[in-house]
Amino acid sequence: MDRLRVISFSAHDAASNMALDEAIARAVGAGASPPTLRLYGWDPPAVSIGYFQEVEGEVDMDFCEANGIGVVRRLTGGGAVLHTRGELTYSLAVSDRDPAVPQDVQGSYMKICAPFVSALRELGASACFRPINDIEVGGRKVSGSAQTRRFGAVLQHGTILLDIDERLLCALRAKMEKLRERGITGHAQRVTTLRRELGRRVSHGELSRAVKRQFKEQFGCKLDAGRPTSGELCSAPSLAERYRSVEWLFRR
Amino acid sequence: MVERSVSRKVKGGKLVKVTVRSEGGRIAEVRITGDFFAHPEEGLEQVERELRGATVSEVRKTVESATGGVTLVGLKREDIIEMVEECLE
Repeated sequence: MDRLRVISFSAHDAASNMALDEAIARAVGAGASPPTLRLYGWDPPAVSIGYFQEVEGEVDMDFCEANGIGVVRRLTGGGAVLHTRGELTYSLAVSDRDPAVPQDVQGSYMKICAPFVSALRELGASACFRPINDIEVGGRKVSGSAQTRRFGAVLQHGTILLDIDERLLCALRAKMEKLRERGITGHAQRVTTLRRELGRRVSHGELSRAVKRQFKEQFGCKLDAGRPTSGELCSAPSLAERYRSVEWLFRR
Repeated sequence: MVERSVSRKVKGGKLVKVTVRSEGGRIAEVRITGDFFAHPEEGLEQVERELRGATVSEVRKTVESATGGVTLVGLKREDIIEMVEECLE
């Protein structure tokens, strides 16, 4: 990986975010686009569920509808995630033949998470990678990632919690069960945010800049500020339609 | 038609649920859900398809051959076999 296209932070609805990640992964896998790091957010807030999850078991659909929270099934496995505005999400798409990313799944999570671990440390948080796919600070999860290998590409996306809107946690059924079991402190014991760890607000921009610096250093590549290509932008809307469809959401 | 589900928190902390619908001891449908990973993802769906028609004694062989080219992360092949068998017992 000599050059990495970086698409700067912007917020979109859930289906558009998943569609753009897929459109980019398809273009990168086909050799039409360079390796790409995209930084983004969610507006409105949304729950994403893993490819293999059952939507009914994971998401309180009534709560989501009443509160304007989007719900989307990801292309990647893993668990249900609540995406609020206090979150930085990333996606990295590289060719599956690119030696910068190990073929071994566990090794590739570690390699791709490493710049995020370093970026968090740069900001003052004692972050470390926790296999399979988490980043923790002080034993609490601050970031989770998920990966798929399709279209000739490796696509990994993940979140870093800057802050959390705890009122919206009711959207996640499993999390609510755990909260009831352990009392309301349960979530706070397992998950943390940068705001809590650092005692200050960290902006999307501040974290994004640290992440970009670390990618440049650790992958030894040039960063090109870029945008989605017209090809990617053309294919995204039809992919978004699939992500919005009832068939896709309820397929498991 | 009998439907049974088994849930398990597997090593590594992933939560897996297997639901089997069967008739006369033969699998009509299997669904494996949870927060694990499978590469390629369609490989796991292929396992579900190939299990249709299997009896409890055929589960191991079927899962072993169908998962040959699938990399499972956060879920072991053995978990699938045990959970499907348990649903049929």
